[in-house]
Amino acid sequence: MSEEEKRQFEGYPKYAPGTHVRDKHIYNKEITYTWWEPEVQYSWSLGPAMSRFLQELKAGKIIGKKCNTCDRVIVPPRMFCEYCYNPTGEWVYLKDTGTVETFSISYLDPDARRIEEPILIGVISIDGAAPKHGFMHYFGEMKPEELKIGMRVKAVWKPENERTGSITDIKYFRPLRGDEE
Amino acid sequence: MTFTEKQTDPTSPMHWRGDMQADYLYPSGIAGDKFFKHLKEHDSFLATKCSKCGKILFPPRLYCEDCFEEIPESNWIEVPASGTVKLFTVATINAHGKKLEEPKVIGLINIDNTDGCLLGIIKTTDYGKDFIGVKVKAVLKPQNEREGTLKDVLYFEEY
Repeated sequence: MSEEEKRQFEGYPKYAPGTHVRDKHIYNKEITYTWWEPEVQYSWSLGPAMSRFLQELKAGKIIGKKCNTCDRVIVPPRMFCEYCYNPTGEWVYLKDTGTVETFSISYLDPDARRIEEPILIGVISIDGAAPKHGFMHYFGEMKPEELKIGMRVKAVWKPENERTGSITDIKYFRPLRGDEE
Repeated sequence: MTFTEKQTDPTSPMHWRGDMQADYLYPSGIAGDKFFKHLKEHDSFLATKCSKCGKILFPPRLYCEDCFEEIPESNWIEVPASGTVKLFTVATINAHGKKLEEPKVIGLINIDNTDGCLLGIIKTTDYGKDFIGVKVKAVLKPQNEREGTLKDVLYFEEY
């Protein structure tokens, strides 16, 4: 324990001083420790609807599925309508534009560390699909204060050779410019 | 495609594969740190002796587990890296339930001159043997390869 650290403990009861373990103790190997990285892998079977959705994303398209009973286009597509429990009907290609349904401005990263540049995320209802539902994604090319509910946005895709069949094949949604409507 | 259509191509539905990062770091603590740093440099173990009840604690502790007495710095003692087998088991399958090529003998070894025990692998080819009461000694990694974890003890062997 360094002199500085000893001074920190002066006010503590003698029987339980406590010892802080800091990052430098680990990185400089000043203390001994056991480090274990368990291999925790999972494989999630996507099913026919989600599989097709991701394959179409790889091709640069957003696809939904229509429920013929309640006349809604569902995106991401489902084999069953979650409203009326009927099997859904035909596939429908959708535009890559949409409306911000709700959003969040996060000043914490996925590890809960404070960050300077906030992460902008939200739910986007895609044009051509039934309103008031959609999927979550990032927003980009905008300032945090510009992000509003009801804002018109457009997908920014990864280059074709970098797409892997994942929702991140869309990099983020950017504001729709006036002449693009 | 409608729901009534049959899925005939098993390769078309995709699987989403991923892994979860769940690393953990377990510092040895004050007594454990001293123990492992000693093990890194020497071919022996450390233990602590309670000044009230006389119990020799191994692995070393800062407080006696029986009478909660704090153990002073002067009560640290060096003990040999050898002991007597108290309990043992012969494992034929690994942690995932797969058959091991060679059975593994795992023993609880009472370290000499202490009242404590250490779990360790007993290296042997005689898997039918009763190891209880057998004297064993620790075989450690070469000094320059030691990392200050219990893995520095490779196995125990009869002597």
